[in-house]
Amino acid sequence: MHFQKRRAGTKQEIPTSSMPDIVFMLLLFFMVTTTLREVDVLVQFKLPEAQAIEKIENKRLISYLWVGKDKRIQINDSIVKLEEVEPIMYGKRQVLPNVIVSLRVDQGVDMGLVMDIQQALRKAYCLRVNYSATLKI
Amino acid sequence: MIKKKKLQEASIPTSSMADIAFLLLLFFLVATVIDVDTGLGLTLPEYVPPEEREEIKVDPQRLVAVLVNEQGDVLIDGEIVSIFQIKNLIKPKLLARVEMPLSKKIIVSLKTDRKTIYNQYIAALDQIKLAFFEARDEVSQSRFGKRFKDLTTEQQEQMKDAVPIIISLAEPEEIK
Repeated sequence: MHFQKRRAGTKQEIPTSSMPDIVFMLLLFFMVTTTLREVDVLVQFKLPEAQAIEKIENKRLISYLWVGKDKRIQINDSIVKLEEVEPIMYGKRQVLPNVIVSLRVDQGVDMGLVMDIQQALRKAYCLRVNYSATLKI
Repeated sequence: MIKKKKLQEASIPTSSMADIAFLLLLFFLVATVIDVDTGLGLTLPEYVPPEEREEIKVDPQRLVAVLVNEQGDVLIDGEIVSIFQIKNLIKPKLLARVEMPLSKKIIVSLKTDRKTIYNQYIAALDQIKLAFFEARDEVSQSRFGKRFKDLTTEQQEQMKDAVPIIISLAEPEEIK
């Protein structure tokens, strides 16, 4: 007896003509989600370590405030004086009412300065803060 | 006879399109930063001008006063301890008040000196938060048999009512 091999009549190649479209879709997704606007950090700082840290889900609400080793304060792209923190943050709060201020403070700074900044934030009604810290292993 | 010129088919070679797109894709993949900001969250108290301030009496049983001085020594309710003992001192107090109403829950008050190093303040705050988180975990373990983060949203709300995180930052003194 002779069996004839049955072959499927369809082509066995994967159609690659739509590959660019798929790749472009992925590309568009990444282009949209990428935020290239990274602020130049002008101060030197080393974050403290902590165990009970939480993630902030909503990145758009975050506004950063840096305090360097040399006690300089940076908001946005510029170094500011302590007295300027309140008006700047008040302006930010008017744009974004539920702003979270992420304090990226060097671990060696004394609390006096941090307290002053906190008082300024309280006066500007920016009450949600986040003490930026890295996970202690 | 004029030979009809054969029209060449005009087409852009599209076979390398995928490669180009892949290159672009790779660039964006590499350039994307998906770093999530991590840290200790806290809500500051509202600012009240000194002349409008009112003294509110709080039941001293509810209050746990944590004081950190410039050397990094900690004073809890009049006792000198080290920073790493804070958690174990606060946790039993939280667990003892799980069944009580909100007006009887523990308030942790954190106060530091102006000369205290920021790192020590964060370490103290970390210990306090850990105490709250571990207390929540223990209560949810005994009630639902799961850890806090594995609970449903509803159960989490229930836990948040049982162990609310109340941390108060003491008003800094005016004298510098």
